[in-house]
Amino acid sequence: MTATMHVRAQPGMSPAGGASLSVRPGAALAAIGVGALAVVALWWQDTFVLHGLADWLTNAGRITGLLAGYAVVVLLALMSRAPVLERGVGTDRLARWHAMGGRYTVSLAVAHTLLIIWGYAVSAHTNVVHQTATLVLSYPDVLMATVSVLMLVGIGAASARAARRRLRYETWHFIHLYTYLAIALAFSHQFSTGADFRNNAQARWLWSALYVFVAVVLLWYRFLTPVRAAVRHRMRVVEVRPESRDTVSVYVTGRHLDALRAEAGQFFRWRFLTHSLWWAANPYSLSAAPRPGLLRITVKIIGGHSAALRALTPGTRVLAEGPYGSFTAGRRRGPKVLLLAGGVGITPLRALFETLPATPGDLTLVYRANTPSDLVLRDELDGIASERGARVHYLIGPPGHGRNDHLSATRLKRLIPDLVGHEVYLCGPEGMMAAAQAGLREAGVPRRHIHQESFTF
Amino acid sequence: MKRVLLSVTGTVLGVVALLSFKSHGQAVIGGALPSATLPAAAGGATSSGASQSTSAPPTPGAGTRATSTAASATKTYLGTAVQTQYGVVQVKVTVAGTKITNVAFAQLTAFDGRSQEINSQAAPILLQETLSAQSAQIDTVSGASYTTDGYVQSLQSALDQAGIQ
Repeated sequence: MTATMHVRAQPGMSPAGGASLSVRPGAALAAIGVGALAVVALWWQDTFVLHGLADWLTNAGRITGLLAGYAVVVLLALMSRAPVLERGVGTDRLARWHAMGGRYTVSLAVAHTLLIIWGYAVSAHTNVVHQTATLVLSYPDVLMATVSVLMLVGIGAASARAARRRLRYETWHFIHLYTYLAIALAFSHQFSTGADFRNNAQARWLWSALYVFVAVVLLWYRFLTPVRAAVRHRMRVVEVRPESRDTVSVYVTGRHLDALRAEAGQFFRWRFLTHSLWWAANPYSLSAAPRPGLLRITVKIIGGHSAALRALTPGTRVLAEGPYGSFTAGRRRGPKVLLLAGGVGITPLRALFETLPATPGDLTLVYRANTPSDLVLRDELDGIASERGARVHYLIGPPGHGRNDHLSATRLKRLIPDLVGHEVYLCGPEGMMAAAQAGLREAGVPRRHIHQESFTF
Repeated sequence: MKRVLLSVTGTVLGVVALLSFKSHGQAVIGGALPSATLPAAAGGATSSGASQSTSAPPTPGAGTRATSTAASATKTYLGTAVQTQYGVVQVKVTVAGTKITNVAFAQLTAFDGRSQEINSQAAPILLQETLSAQSAQIDTVSGASYTTDGYVQSLQSALDQAGIQ
């Protein structure tokens, strides 16, 4: 399945047109860090002096436990689809943070469990097995928390890269939903046994407020907002058109679509209400500028989900969350623009190619593909180029080494002599993006002139 | 991989640093240790400053030892030092015949400020309960179950030595 996601964070233009609230990645990380410090401070202020191994173990367990309890809500918040984060940090980066943070959080939870068992066993002069039994059976809510940590380990294992490749996306997705249950199960033991909360009502209030706040944000942006949009726009599939052997365009219509104020370069999370597709909302970029009452996406058929898109029938109801992303005209700072696409990464650039304001000669599209059959929408691109007086270059063939690569600095400069004066919009698969970045930088294009969007599978 | 290594070592070093910062200094001992005396034996419940400094809590079961006082029928028994999750509790009872006339803490340590606060609230209640119950069958002080458990255990060991049921 193809997902088009955003990497670069820019305050940029909001979908609604005006300047809107967003948070830069650095600021978001700083906020997360400050929260973690506050959590450690909570431990610090009610801990006096540590004596011996038992205290060290128990308190290391307390710190890791507090941090795990905090990290888990941060992970949820990252996936909350709050526009502040989606627009500021970017969907792609949020997903990467979530994946990295997920592994870290599971490790913290496991460390917490083992350290507490070991620490209590040392202070009670029993063995670890006996202490585990005591903790699970006689400490309030610890049984639930034990189930929770085991679930987290299972979910973490299922999400690990190796397992993820073997699992169907559907299976992984459903397994992942159990994190909500795991978090709920682990909550009560924090207050009933947590030394930092048991006798500190203020800490309990703040901690609960954090959890409730994130829950409300999740409910609002992941549930209420899409439902409201569904009621308002009543989107339906009008046409499904094969573009090549393995790409398909889906046309969607609905009411008041102009109120969405979607821009070329943005994406929606699409949920097609058929028997096999309703459960997943996948991000696909608009592959054409929005027309009155009509949106179009173009999807490369890779996984089960995208394959099922081919079988969509007109009339199928669609829920679309969005628009998301700031890979739009708002990023641009200069008159000359190079759109650099790889494979199916053409979709948002196709829309931008059509709409980016430019005088003839200022707009260039370079489309990179390994084989001619990987090029999609070629007729449309040629049509737009001749209509707008823009240039299109197709670079076809397998990647080369060093200077011989299609996207090396030398080759790019040969293609576009005044490359350095261009704003670059870059979208494609990971390898292509890395090659393009390296080539552009070497050619002397400043980093702030490169706006990129990666798509992942 | 590099990032994983970095975050793991970073976390471990951070936690170790935090813990070692907290390892300097003395265990908190509640200043003058509280005690309570039966009104008949002396003039009301009083506090006496039997401050005992211990840098490390003794291991449970170490301090079982009875000491006789000069008074003829009055004997003082020292209970076991019991380590709870939050500190060490050790009780000293003075018995005249089969009557508990005085009960005091030989040790009441807390590893953190919160526990110290709880201890200082619970201690007088536990002592009074002991004098009125004249046994180790006393109610748990709410919010101080660990201290109560430790107290009862130490008290029971002292009463066992005294031969009081």
